[in-house]
Amino acid sequence: MKNTNSQKLRLGLFVITGTVLFIIGVYLIGQRENMFKKTFTISAFFQNVNGLQNGNNVRYSGIDIGTVKDITMVNDSTIKVDMTIDEKMTIHIKKDAIATIGSDGLVGNMILNIVPGNGHANIISNGDTIESYSKIGADDILSTLSVSSENAAILTSDLLKITTAMIKGKGTVGLLLNDTIMAKDLKQSVTNLKFASRSATNTINELNTIISSLKTNNETVLGMLINDTLSGKKLKDIIGHLETSSAEVENVLANINTAVDDFNSSDDGAYNYILKDTSLVNSLKSTLKNINEGTDKFNQNMEALKHNFLTRGYFRKLERQEKKLMRKND
Amino acid sequence: MSALHSIKTQLKSFLTEIGELSLFTGRYFREAFKRPFEFKELLRQCYNMGNRSLLLVVITGFIIGLVLTLQTRPTLMEFGAVSWMPSMVSISIVREIGPIITALVCAGRIGSGIGAELGSMRVTEQIDAMEVSGTNPFKYLVVTRVLAVTLMLPLLVIIGDAIAIFGSFLVENIKGNVSFMLYFSQVFDALEFGDVIPATIKSFFFGLAIGIVGCFKGFYCEKGTEGVGKAANSAVVFTSLLLFIIDFIAVFVTDIFYDL
Repeated sequence: MKNTNSQKLRLGLFVITGTVLFIIGVYLIGQRENMFKKTFTISAFFQNVNGLQNGNNVRYSGIDIGTVKDITMVNDSTIKVDMTIDEKMTIHIKKDAIATIGSDGLVGNMILNIVPGNGHANIISNGDTIESYSKIGADDILSTLSVSSENAAILTSDLLKITTAMIKGKGTVGLLLNDTIMAKDLKQSVTNLKFASRSATNTINELNTIISSLKTNNETVLGMLINDTLSGKKLKDIIGHLETSSAEVENVLANINTAVDDFNSSDDGAYNYILKDTSLVNSLKSTLKNINEGTDKFNQNMEALKHNFLTRGYFRKLERQEKKLMRKND
Repeated sequence: MSALHSIKTQLKSFLTEIGELSLFTGRYFREAFKRPFEFKELLRQCYNMGNRSLLLVVITGFIIGLVLTLQTRPTLMEFGAVSWMPSMVSISIVREIGPIITALVCAGRIGSGIGAELGSMRVTEQIDAMEVSGTNPFKYLVVTRVLAVTLMLPLLVIIGDAIAIFGSFLVENIKGNVSFMLYFSQVFDALEFGDVIPATIKSFFFGLAIGIVGCFKGFYCEKGTEGVGKAANSAVVFTSLLLFIIDFIAVFVTDIFYDL
């Protein structure tokens, strides 16, 4: 037992080293889990926590600020997640911050991200609840992917059918790809189209020249119409005159109409007298009757004259002259 | 018939030994809390077992950390997951490799040492002489040694773990250009109390097993020089086996409590 004191010293050093290492380890781990800091608790409600566990990190804008303290089912579709947050961070988190659940890398642990809101709300306090936003889970992404891949499989099989048909020369595209005669025809068509377009260009050029000549040349009717302001003025005058004439004609017609109306409506006019006065007709009728009787009596008087000795000679003379004329005509 | 008979004899002797070991353990716990306490001898044993094993544990731990990182690196690189190296190495070292490797090394060094020392004392009848002189040899020889190993092994494990993680950091620093801050930040990010506390508790049991088996083998050593060798040898073999059994039970229990 010669070196007892030095042995004790070394032993003490060894024990202290081991103990200190242990304490440092425990402290560092505890610090990660916010065991030695002043903390406060906030919570958020989710519909799906995607495998979040107690002790998972809580990040605010990417900085670890705490851990998940407790996860409890509130009802069949709502899960309450309590978080222990470092008290120093209180001043930075506002009440409109949003909690989302994400993963630390592609295969890492789940983490709870707190995203800052627009920053106008009040500072958060112990026991507050913040809004949450459930992201699409990996399962949902995978199921969407599987649907997409199924669709892609259907698409590729359809494409295969189309390309096979095309190679075999079926359909318009297949024909285009395989038919050499059609290709030649198409080539010819294109040449024709080129020619046609060239002609069309020429025609348009000619039209352009005509139009420009029309614009500049005042001797033609169109050119004069378009360009000659004097003729235009004259035409305008003519049209003005025509308008006045038609107005006058209208006046005349109106006068005529009034006259005709007067004519129709007047009871004293000759027209009215002729058309409407029945007494006149009756008197005319009796007059004509008297005339007929008069003429009958005159005829009788004439016959009597023929047989009268004083006038008989004259009538016989007339007969003879007529006979003579008849013979001459025959 | 003879084969069956020999199996029967072996089984009988094995069960007898287990029974004796249990009685020995019971006696240890009874004696450990009884006055007088042999503090001086305890400190001497602590120095013997703790300080003198330190170099061995440090070298072993350093090499284990180095080798583990070097071996795992190519595989992790294939997956593009080299950044997970600190977490992976620290968790595997703290949870399992550190305690079990340190315990095995100590079983080899301390267990065999105790077995040989007590065995030779038994052979040279020093223990009998102590009994005659009125000193309690169990208290003076066994309790101090077992207690010393039980207390020293967790410390050795912690130092071994730290050195192993440092060795791993050196490889990462040289090969992957990872800074000290980043490496240890990731290490402590990955580690939880569920990793450290069960491993430390497990180390106490490892120490107890090494001390108890070493003392038991030496205390009940067969007569003759051959017996001393046998005691030392069987102490190491039996301790190593027991360490793995305890490790299995410890992991099993930890799994229930910590949901690994």
